[in-house]
Amino acid sequence: MSIIEATGICKTYQRGREDVCALRGVNLTIEAGEFVTIVGPSGAGKTALLNILGCLDTPSCGTLAIDGVPVTGKGEAELVKIRREHIGFVFQQFFLIPTLTVGENVGLPLIFSGSPYDRQKIESLLEKVGLSHRAEHFPGQLSGGEMQRVAIARALVNNPRILLADEPTGNLDSITADGIYRLFEELHRQGITVIVVTHNRELAQRAGRVITIRDGLVNGGC
Amino acid sequence: MNLLSFAVKNLQRRKGRTLLTIAGVAIAVAILFSLLSFSAGYERELTREMDSLGFHLLAVPKGCPYEATTLILHGGVIPKYLTNEDLARARATDGVAIAAPMLLQQVTKDGTPHIVYGIEPAVMLPLKPAWKVNGRFFSANETRVMVIGSTLAEKENLAAGSVIPFGPAQEQFTIIGVLQPTGSEDDNFHFLPLADAQRTFGKVGLITAIAVRADDVKHIPRIAEDLEKVPDIQVVTMAQVTGTIMNLVGSARSLLFSVIVIAIVISAAGITNTLLMSVNERTREIGMMKAIGASGHHIGILLIAETLLITTLGGIIGILAALAGSGIIETFVRELIPYAPSGSFVSFDPLLIGGCLLFSIGLGLLCGIYPAWKSARLSPMEAIRGEWE
Ligand SMILES: Nc1ncnc2c1ncn2[C@@H]1O[C@H](COP(=O)(O)OP(=O)(O)O)[C@@H](O)[C@H]1O
Ligand SMILES: [Mg+2]
Repeated sequence: MSIIEATGICKTYQRGREDVCALRGVNLTIEAGEFVTIVGPSGAGKTALLNILGCLDTPSCGTLAIDGVPVTGKGEAELVKIRREHIGFVFQQFFLIPTLTVGENVGLPLIFSGSPYDRQKIESLLEKVGLSHRAEHFPGQLSGGEMQRVAIARALVNNPRILLADEPTGNLDSITADGIYRLFEELHRQGITVIVVTHNRELAQRAGRVITIRDGLVNGGC
Repeated sequence: MNLLSFAVKNLQRRKGRTLLTIAGVAIAVAILFSLLSFSAGYERELTREMDSLGFHLLAVPKGCPYEATTLILHGGVIPKYLTNEDLARARATDGVAIAAPMLLQQVTKDGTPHIVYGIEPAVMLPLKPAWKVNGRFFSANETRVMVIGSTLAEKENLAAGSVIPFGPAQEQFTIIGVLQPTGSEDDNFHFLPLADAQRTFGKVGLITAIAVRADDVKHIPRIAEDLEKVPDIQVVTMAQVTGTIMNLVGSARSLLFSVIVIAIVISAAGITNTLLMSVNERTREIGMMKAIGASGHHIGILLIAETLLITTLGGIIGILAALAGSGIIETFVRELIPYAPSGSFVSFDPLLIGGCLLFSIGLGLLCGIYPAWKSARLSPMEAIRGEWE
C-alpha cells in the first residue's frame, strides 16, 4: 500500500475576483520509505501541492489518501490529528521560537500532541542531527544550518512516517545545504518517507525520484 | 515544558510591552481595590463613630436639622434653645433610658473656634463608658472647673491643675481633668457642668440639645415619633445622620467610580490591543505551530493563558501596591469626601482581595477571548507561505 496516494488534485485560490489555478489535476503516488524531491519553476504549484499532501490545505477537487486512509472531506480537527501522527514539517524559514532553548524548540510539538515531555527523546534527536552540545542554547546563537537541523529534529519528535520540507535549503549556502541533504538521506535510510521541494536541480538529483511540476501539472509521470 | 510555561516564555519576548500592560492592569486594579476597601472601611468607621456618641437620637430645637447634624459631627452652635420643660417631657417619654441635656457654645481663642459643652455628669457619663479621665470629673454643682479633651490639652499645652481665663467674662477656670484619647471629636472639646455653663454664657435654663438613649434600639422609631409631638422639638436620629453622610459620600464615590471605569476600559483596550499586535506579529509562527500539530484549541488556550498571566500578575501587583500605598491614598480620599471619620478606614478584607483577583482574571478572559478566537482560526498555511503572499 502506498503511503501517499493523490488523484486528480486541483487547487484554485481566490485572488480578489480572479481565480488562480495552482494545481490542475495532479496524480501522484509515493511509496513508504521513498525519498522524493519536487522541482519546478517558481509559481509552479510546488508549495500548494506540499500543503495538500501535508493536510495543511484541502484540495478543490481530487482525492488524497494517507497510508490508505482517505483524508479528503475531513474537518480541521481530524486533519490536525493526521498531521500530528503522520507528518513532520520543515520550512524554509526555520520558525524557531527565540525564547525557547534548542531543546525546548524540539520538544514543542509534544505539548500539542499530549505526549509526555520526553527529555531523553529530545536529546537523542539532537544527537541525530548533530547538535547535542547545543541543547541549552537559544536559536539566536545558532547558524542557519544549525537552526534548520533543530527544525528537522522538531519535525521528528512525534515519530512521523512522512517528513515534508518546503525549500529547506533555500536560505542556506551550498555546503550547509549539502549537510542538510545528507541528513535527509540518513532519515530516508532509517525508513522515513522524505519529500523535499527544492529549486536546486543538482540537490534534487540526490533523491530516489525527482518529480517536476510545471503550471500545476506533474510531468515526468507518476 | 507545557502550554503554561510556553506562554510565560512567549511573554518574555516583548518584555517592555508585557511590563507596560501589566502596569496598566495593576493601576486599574489598585484604584478599584482602594476604592472598594475605602468605601467598606468608611461605612464601618462612620458607624463606629456614631456608636461612640453613646446616644441614639438627638432632640434639637425645631428648624435646625442641619445645625444639629454638624453639631453631632463636629460640635457646633444652634441659635435656638430648648427648655427644662422639654427635658422633662423627654425624660417622661416611654422607652427613654437616658436623656442628657447639653448646652453648646463656641468661644474663639487666638482666632480658632473652641467648642464648649455644658453637661450633667450624672447622665452624660453613662452615655460615655469609654471616657477615662486623668485627674477627676466634676460633679453637677461645681463652678469654674472644666474637663478637656486630650487633643485640645496637647494643642494648648494644658494639664489637670492648669488655670485659664475663660468665657465672655474671662473668669479663671481650673482644669480638673483631661480625657484620655477617645479617637472621636470629644478629644477637641471643653466640658463644663451644665449649670455653670449656663451661668457663664448667660443662658440660664436653656439647652441646646438633648441626647437620648433608648432602653432598646427597637424603640428608637417610636421614641422619635413621641418626641416630635413636643412642639419645640425636632428629632435627628443617628441613622438619619449616617444616611445623609452616606448620600454625600455616595456622590463623591460615583465620581471616583467613573474614574475607575475609565481606567479599566483604557487598560482593557490596551490589553486587547497588545494581544492583537502579538497575534499579528506571530501569524506565521502560529501557522507553523498548527503545522506541527497544534489545534485551534491549543492556540486559543495559549493566547488566553498569556492574557491571564498578564492580568493576574497585574492584579496581584495592583492589590499589593494599594495595600502598601493605602496611607497615601487615604490622605487623598479624605480630601475628596465631605466628612471623614477620625479612625483609619483602610481595611484588609480578604474577600475584597479575592474579589479583585477574580476581577483581574475576568478582565483577562474578556480581553483575551477575541484575540484567542482570531488566532485559533488562522490558517496553518500562513506559515509555509512565502513572505510575498
Ligand atoms: N493563498 C494564495 N492565494 C492566491 N494565490 C495563491 C495562493 N497560494 C498560491 N497562490 C498562487 O498559486 C500559484 C502556485 O503557488 P506556489 O504553490 O506557492 O508556487 P511554488 O511554491 O511552486 O513557487 C502561484 O501562482 C501563486 O501565486
Ligand atoms: Mg513555494
